[in-house]
Amino acid sequence: MEQEVEWEPKLLGFLCRWCSYAGADLAGISRKKYPANIAVIKVPCSGRVDPLFIIKALRLGFDGVLVSGCYPGDCHYQTGNYHARRRLAITKKFLEYMGVEPQRIQASWVSASEGGKFTKVVSEVTKELKEVGTNQLFADGR
Amino acid sequence: MEDREREQRLHHEAKTLLEQGQVDYIIGYETGSLKFTTTPLITKDEDDTDRLVVNPFIVNNLSVYLTEVKGKAGIVAKGCDSRSIVSLIQDNKIAREDIVIMGIPCPGLIDLKKVELLLGKDRDELDNITREGDKVMITVDGKEKDFPTTEVLFDNCLGCEFPTPQEYDVLLGEPSFSITDKVASRARIKELEAVSQGKRWNFWREEFSRCIRCYACRNVCPACFCQRCFVEETEPLWLMPVPRWQDNLMFQVVRNIHVAGRCTDCGECERVCPMNIPLRSLTRKMYELVDEMFQYQAGMDKNAPPLLTAYEPTEAEDFMR
Repeated sequence: MEQEVEWEPKLLGFLCRWCSYAGADLAGISRKKYPANIAVIKVPCSGRVDPLFIIKALRLGFDGVLVSGCYPGDCHYQTGNYHARRRLAITKKFLEYMGVEPQRIQASWVSASEGGKFTKVVSEVTKELKEVGTNQLFADGR
Repeated sequence: MEDREREQRLHHEAKTLLEQGQVDYIIGYETGSLKFTTTPLITKDEDDTDRLVVNPFIVNNLSVYLTEVKGKAGIVAKGCDSRSIVSLIQDNKIAREDIVIMGIPCPGLIDLKKVELLLGKDRDELDNITREGDKVMITVDGKEKDFPTTEVLFDNCLGCEFPTPQEYDVLLGEPSFSITDKVASRARIKELEAVSQGKRWNFWREEFSRCIRCYACRNVCPACFCQRCFVEETEPLWLMPVPRWQDNLMFQVVRNIHVAGRCTDCGECERVCPMNIPLRSLTRKMYELVDEMFQYQAGMDKNAPPLLTAYEPTEAEDFMR
């Protein structure tokens, strides 16, 4: 007997080593539930995330990308997250102009103590991605 | 001032610079091998300076050579080129004291493709093209025809905000009046903005399926000064070497984001593209986005930090969760 399996979006998360990754860790330790759609790459700082990573992820078929780092003023390297914010703002707007659904590029501030917020962010993003649907951007037969 | 006068003054200035040893090189334009074209002239020889020209066909953005020549250079720069130079100074790629800028107030350059389209003739069949204010006179078969300048200028020249160089040591001629047509300049962008997201993506998909990834756009771009570009990385291999549209598109998107805040809308990428991909519809849009979001225009202030290395404590927060 075959069962209908509901489609689940694939989300790639770039989490900063100091805040968001620790926040995700805390969510796990506190046994909070969040969608298992996210695959996490630990980066030294949200400022490490080159727009190239985001586009490459979409190219590889991820349905969405989440970049998460420390709150403004909390960066371990003082200014990394400010640079990330500027770069992400440009990337998001520009890709929107190219024709990428804006929901596919997500960003958040999650501190090390915010396991709850991490749970919330991942749930919201997953929900949004379900509405947008699969990433067919780089598929050939469209 | 007439082009002829400017040329004579340029010859004099360039020669003096070389004779007095103020510069090692002169970077300028000389007459090209094809009709109505110019080609870059890079020389150490003061006798060569007589070959320098100033006319409505000096299309190249010469600032791209500044990072390649060793020593001091005297360079001929139009409005957009001077901003590229300033942008390079901001990025510490060159030092202001190492260059002498001979600025040309630029009334816009003539796009031969548009001329050919307008007359339905090949450029070889034209006898002469001259320009006077808002009129362009084209002589074909001994007959002279008038056209409004706006019909034959490059699209980026039509949208030009700063025809007079922002930074110069010598200015050849009076600050220029500019003949612009802002609407025509961004007509294609407007068209794209009006259609749905999916249609936009399909448009670019179609365009980039023509791309042969010759990297002419990258090589001609003064803002693309990386010694090693991500497209040539093999570990990790960001892009497959075969020019499939997916990778072509990815290349161009990332290139545009990397040069955000450095691109001065000089239009060189679009001009050199052998496949006629409308690249300016990307670069110009990025230029506008940057201006809109961060009130930043590339190459206006040599002491300002480059766009992507600066930040304000509070800005662009709306998309952050």
